[in-house]
Amino acid sequence: MPFKNVKKDTADALTLEWLLHVKHYKLTLDKKRCVGCQICSLACPKDAIKLEKQLKAQGEKAKKAKVDIDLAKCNFCGVCDVSCPYGAIKLTLNDGHDLLLLQKESYPELVRDIKVDTKQCPKDCDECEDSCPLDLITVTRVGFDGKPVESVAALPPSQQKRVQINLAIQKEYCPTCRVCEFKCAPGVIKVRKFTEGKIAIDQAKCPGGCRDCLDVCPITGALYLSVADNKVYVNELFCVYCGACKAVCPVDEALTLKRTKIIHTPVRSGAWNKALQRLASPVDAVKELKAAGSRKAKEQVSRRFSMEEKIR
Amino acid sequence: MSQPENVKKPEELRIGVFVCHCGLNIAGTVDIKQIVEYAKTIPDVVFVKENRYTCADPGQEEIRKAIREQKLNRVVVAACSPRMHEPTFRRTVTEAGLNPFLFEMANIREFASWCHPSNPQAATERAKDAVRMAVAKARLLMPLQTIEVPVTNKALIVGGGIAGMNAALDLAEMGFQVYMLENTQSIGGHMAALDKTFPTLDCSICIEGPKMVDCGRHPNIKIFANADLVRVDGYIGNFKVKIRQNPRYVIPDRCTGCGECKDVCPIEYPNEWDMNLGTRKAISVPFDQAVPLIYAVNKDYCIECFKCVDVCGARQAIDFEQKPEEVEIEVGAIIVSTGFDVYLPYDMPLLGYGKYPNVITSMEFERLILAAGPTGGKVIRQSDGKKPHTVAFIQCVGSRDKNKYPYCSNFCCMYTLKHVVQLKEKYKEDVEVYVFYMDIRSPGKGYEEFYDRARERGVNFIRGRVSRIDEDPKTHNLVVHSEDQTLGQPIEIEADMVVLATAAIPKKGSDEIARILNLSRGADGFFMESHPKLKPLDAPTDGVFYAGACQGLKDIPASVAQGSGAAARAATVISKPKWKIEPIISVIDESRCRNVTAKCGICVDKCPYGAIKAEPNKAAQVITASCHGCGTCVAECPQDAITQMHFTDAQILAQIRAALEKDPEDKILAILCNWCSYAGADLAGTSRFEYPPSVRAIRVMCSGRVDRDFILEAFRLGAGMVLVGACHLPYDCHYISGNYKMKARTDALKGMLTKLGMSPERFRVEYVSAAEGIHYAEVITEIDADMKALGKEKIKAENAKLRPIIENMLKRKK
Repeated sequence: MPFKNVKKDTADALTLEWLLHVKHYKLTLDKKRCVGCQICSLACPKDAIKLEKQLKAQGEKAKKAKVDIDLAKCNFCGVCDVSCPYGAIKLTLNDGHDLLLLQKESYPELVRDIKVDTKQCPKDCDECEDSCPLDLITVTRVGFDGKPVESVAALPPSQQKRVQINLAIQKEYCPTCRVCEFKCAPGVIKVRKFTEGKIAIDQAKCPGGCRDCLDVCPITGALYLSVADNKVYVNELFCVYCGACKAVCPVDEALTLKRTKIIHTPVRSGAWNKALQRLASPVDAVKELKAAGSRKAKEQVSRRFSMEEKIR
Repeated sequence: MSQPENVKKPEELRIGVFVCHCGLNIAGTVDIKQIVEYAKTIPDVVFVKENRYTCADPGQEEIRKAIREQKLNRVVVAACSPRMHEPTFRRTVTEAGLNPFLFEMANIREFASWCHPSNPQAATERAKDAVRMAVAKARLLMPLQTIEVPVTNKALIVGGGIAGMNAALDLAEMGFQVYMLENTQSIGGHMAALDKTFPTLDCSICIEGPKMVDCGRHPNIKIFANADLVRVDGYIGNFKVKIRQNPRYVIPDRCTGCGECKDVCPIEYPNEWDMNLGTRKAISVPFDQAVPLIYAVNKDYCIECFKCVDVCGARQAIDFEQKPEEVEIEVGAIIVSTGFDVYLPYDMPLLGYGKYPNVITSMEFERLILAAGPTGGKVIRQSDGKKPHTVAFIQCVGSRDKNKYPYCSNFCCMYTLKHVVQLKEKYKEDVEVYVFYMDIRSPGKGYEEFYDRARERGVNFIRGRVSRIDEDPKTHNLVVHSEDQTLGQPIEIEADMVVLATAAIPKKGSDEIARILNLSRGADGFFMESHPKLKPLDAPTDGVFYAGACQGLKDIPASVAQGSGAAARAATVISKPKWKIEPIISVIDESRCRNVTAKCGICVDKCPYGAIKAEPNKAAQVITASCHGCGTCVAECPQDAITQMHFTDAQILAQIRAALEKDPEDKILAILCNWCSYAGADLAGTSRFEYPPSVRAIRVMCSGRVDRDFILEAFRLGAGMVLVGACHLPYDCHYISGNYKMKARTDALKGMLTKLGMSPERFRVEYVSAAEGIHYAEVITEIDADMKALGKEKIKAENAKLRPIIENMLKRKK
């Protein structure tokens, strides 16, 4: 069969496909997981991804921005897959999710540093499971006989100690918002955010009564409505700096968002440098480069990375 | 009427006329004595002599002797057609010290004795007029020097397929510097993508690969791969070529072709060279045997991770900053070998190509069965990755189809036979093969035997045109609907896979190449040769030659042969230090050219060869070496600023006046182009077709030369009928399109004259080929009958009415 490229847009997913006689590339955007943030559109090295603001009807909640991928520009490289904080995009080759991009160490992976110590878990506590705004945590308890335990407290005390508590986190979809960590009183979960940055709302510019940012924010508690002035405020503790709010904010500069650092696996890659420039800023990209390597490595990079010169 | 004023009239005209008996060929009908006596009475004729055979040595010697003794400065030979012996007598007069262009011929054999045998008196009269016309032209002849231009002893090959490679190697072996231009990343062309070749089933790349390497290594060959042809200036022997070297983002001298960069590259994209069945990396070569073996980055897909830069390391061969580069080279000859494309039948929905996954083209099949292909030589279906058990091959998809490509694509029958033999030999009884065909065309050496081989393998050949293909959506099996002509009834075959033998079509970008090199293309879109029989390798532009399928589809052996042929043709140019050009070219009188004061450029548009340039506020200029001497620009110039040497307005008008001196109302004045209609008229003579002797014919090189003024002058002088003879439309013109230019001009003129009250049949344009002697005789017979039917009185009356208007028109011109 001749080469075919196909794009399908349904309510649940946006799929792009390259059908070759022996290879089948498929890029799927899970619309349920997508929050309409800016990350993929900024990271895409081919400029193939665009965000479209969705009109909202009077009196309705704001809709998250819609992600559209240009089939003609997409090269099925997988950078969006790797970059998505919510794991909403998946690239497969012949139905396998083994990215050449990562195999060849051409692009880093986000470091989702989540440590769990279930030994300290209190009896029958489901706090983390309930708190996760994205429903990524499942708590299960297994008794000594391997059977699931409904309630630890109901067991005889001798058996209570032998109950094993499992805390499964679907890491690939986790944006590391730390909500679970804070909801967990004994400190069982330790989360390190992979994105550092700064978010602020200029209250002078923010139109009162507009809650668009709050409507689209996927992290409960990252933004909140002040009872005092009916305006939206930021709680940086939970913000993952994804920019879903910025994508829908109706007033320029009312909401400022800056990413300063992204924690990733140690990979040297021009594609990553370029992505970082756009995700954070050229200055931050240079900072990372300076910190990362020896002088020789830096020279090598600067040869290809002329932006550094300009910034200095 | 233009006539360069700086031409000095010679002190005194001394014209010698030599009348030939041609044994009894002329003397048997025409009264030679009368001709001789008559010639003596023509002013400026100082010497007349008759010969039994003027072209024989004694006859030629008589001419030389007369030139020396009688101090002749013009020579007229009344004998056979100038197409026969003009070169002979030009040499004769040159030997006696006279300029060859001071010689003129009167055709009294083909145009008198042979075509009017039953009317000797009329034949003699016609011969007399022919002599008078020749003398009239001879009076105005000017000495001309053959033009010589220096030659650059290098050649350019445009397109590095098997034909171009052979041309390049042959020329390089002859010792010439050769440049090869290839727009893809490797030379090799279609042949490098094939698995086996018919009828011998030898591996294609195994026989082509060494040739590709030879091209790459030859000290006389320089390859510009991944490059485009931008511009070609100049003319035969002196082309200036501008080439755009597109960036590869890899420095050729530093790339060792090791392929380490490819191994670390994370990006894959469909490989066009693999018919997009498989992929290649964003830094790669299209195939392992590529020549030159230089990797290239495809920036459309590259994400610039620079892994390749890291691994290339100290070699530093990768340069992402590379820009397109323009290179200028000089060559003496150009060989065009741009090849063909394969038609992809997306627009034939009934066959389901692009819709059903198991319908593929033959070229895709080729990549599937090739061991180095994307499937490692396994023929598998796209839908389930399984081997097909029934394969149907469908011939003439797009070819021999009036709605698509009416021509036969030449090699599809043979490659399908190859495919079926390959399939049968690979999978034996495990595969059933059907071939739906219109005709199996196997006329080459060993081809029919190969067809036998396919039949012996048990392949089912079904004669019939496939009407449609349906798919079972569950199994993705296909049902081929066709007619079986042998049984005379419809037939349905279920197949696991269908292979379409699609048409080969002109290369994409052929129009661009045609524009740059001033080539013409036939109705089928392939390049037109200068002459389909005798100059099949020559382009209409001098110094440009064709090799391979770009001129017409051909298989590998034919392409190789044509490549070598084109090399030999190119060598005839570039092996010479100088190139001679007939001086019958156009010359522009700068003082008259309108382009100096206004934007004109009509001549630039009308020149079929792009041989005229007009810069703003400057007189137009003829590129001497590009001018072919058709005279179209001369006839088109509104200012009469252009003159064609040896066919000046004054010379032709003098012939017209001489032709219509006596009883013009009874005469048909014919202006015939040299290559077709004059040759056709000659053939009428040689074939002894008799036609009315009222016609008086004048030879021009091309019908494009026929100026409006010639026709107007003929009618002003009272001509009974006027005929313009040209090469057949659309492609027969020997000057590409001179006949079209003439047609546009004469159509308008005829309309005007008819409106002014002239009977339309009095002015005719006829297309007569060199083979249509009978047609010429019929045309003249018809015109003569029309003339008689109109009657002398009516013609005279019409002419009287027309004359003041025409005189006014011709006066205004002056």
